[in-house]
Amino acid sequence: MSISITVNETKDIATITIVGSFDFSLFNEFRAAYSDLERCYKTYVVDMSMVEYLDSAALGMLLSMRNGIEEESNIQLTGANAFIKNILMISRFDKRFDIQ
Amino acid sequence: MKLLCVDSEPVYREIISLCAEKEGVTVKAVASYQEAIIAFESYAPDIVTLDVIMKGGSGYALVQKLKTLSGKRFVPMIFLASHTTDSVMDKCFKAGADDFIPKPFNEMLLNIRLKTHMRHVELMKEMYRKNKALTYYQAMIEREHEMAHHVLDHIQNRSDKNSEQVAITRLSAASFNGDLALIKTRLDGARLVFVGDFTGHGLPASIGALPVMQTFFDAVDEVVCVNELAVRINKILFSILPDYMFCAGYLLLMTQEGGITYWGGGMPNAYIRRANGGFDYLQSSHMPLGILSMNDFEADLQSNQLNSGDTLIIVSDGVLELKNCHNEMLGDDQVKALISCIYADASLIAAQQKIELKLAEYQGESEQLDDITLVALRSSYLQ
Repeated sequence: MSISITVNETKDIATITIVGSFDFSLFNEFRAAYSDLERCYKTYVVDMSMVEYLDSAALGMLLSMRNGIEEESNIQLTGANAFIKNILMISRFDKRFDIQ
Repeated sequence: MKLLCVDSEPVYREIISLCAEKEGVTVKAVASYQEAIIAFESYAPDIVTLDVIMKGGSGYALVQKLKTLSGKRFVPMIFLASHTTDSVMDKCFKAGADDFIPKPFNEMLLNIRLKTHMRHVELMKEMYRKNKALTYYQAMIEREHEMAHHVLDHIQNRSDKNSEQVAITRLSAASFNGDLALIKTRLDGARLVFVGDFTGHGLPASIGALPVMQTFFDAVDEVVCVNELAVRINKILFSILPDYMFCAGYLLLMTQEGGITYWGGGMPNAYIRRANGGFDYLQSSHMPLGILSMNDFEADLQSNQLNSGDTLIIVSDGVLELKNCHNEMLGDDQVKALISCIYADASLIAAQQKIELKLAEYQGESEQLDDITLVALRSSYLQ
């Protein structure tokens, strides 16, 4: 599995961890990761510390996630390497996501 | 399921018929070579059982004949024979038999073998059906792609042709290009430029090009300003694209005097190679087109200036992320080095050909993973 999900009920956090290449092949799996949760969380963390490559399709998937969950919920993109962080910043994802 | 039983002995015809009918198979039983051939054509059985010796010919010849007659259809042929030496069996299989059961046979054994062969027949039929369906869909998709190509190619034809002021290079990763490069000179002599990169590549990525093209050429005719055009393109893409698709791009207007005003979203830095070999950049400061609603969209512009001998080069990320055979990306530094050297050429067309060659050299035998666009501009006024 290149996507795994863990929840912390007390802190109200759902963490989606992605391993390897974050691209269109994960489209359905990534969508299921946040939409199959039983409830909505205050904070979502997309852990990219083990992502080697990210393409524009993945950016689209993140935007789709932003649309798919409650507006009040915060999405943190964590652990991105320099290459990925650069892609996120070129597309000004800091306007919609909390990039750490 | 239909079985053709060829046996000269009435008792065997009866036993085989009974066994097969118990499995729900319809049976036609014949006694001779000639009858078998006629029945095979009129009855079109799914399975055949036969003996080695029969009236009017041999079992070997019959199997060969029936296999020819069945053509592409798979019809298992099972020998039920009293002659059971190795050489007989060998001849049966060489003639095309699919199975061999010695007589007298155990009823249970025949049933099991029949069932196995029936399962094979079903599998083969299923495979043929699927194969036919796939062939049909493939032909349909090819036709649709051909039509889409026709429409999309038309877009690029409306753009200004390559000249000493404008040079466009586009190389697609799939059969469709998700990158878009439109350049058109307005009536007032200013040049409007759009270089865009849709999410992903292939047909889905290139479809968004249609409405963008329409909006772009309307703006050329109406002499709409760049920020208004950015608003219009964003609006149309926001309303038609699914939420996981967008278009990174530069929208740019260059006056005859070389003055540049531009809007950039989600694109890598564009390079201005100054006449003295130094570099300046256009930067994307916005989210790509098609993401933000009308209320959130920001259309503020930036500006720069092309002086005599300067070249503006806009590349899509496909250029920066082009990989060589060692899986290494070309990257910003190498792109800059190439531009610095190649665009020193006084001829823009010659420089463009050189850079295309260099990119192809770098890529070598490795697969192109993303669409590539490289647009170079010089100011006409200054030459």
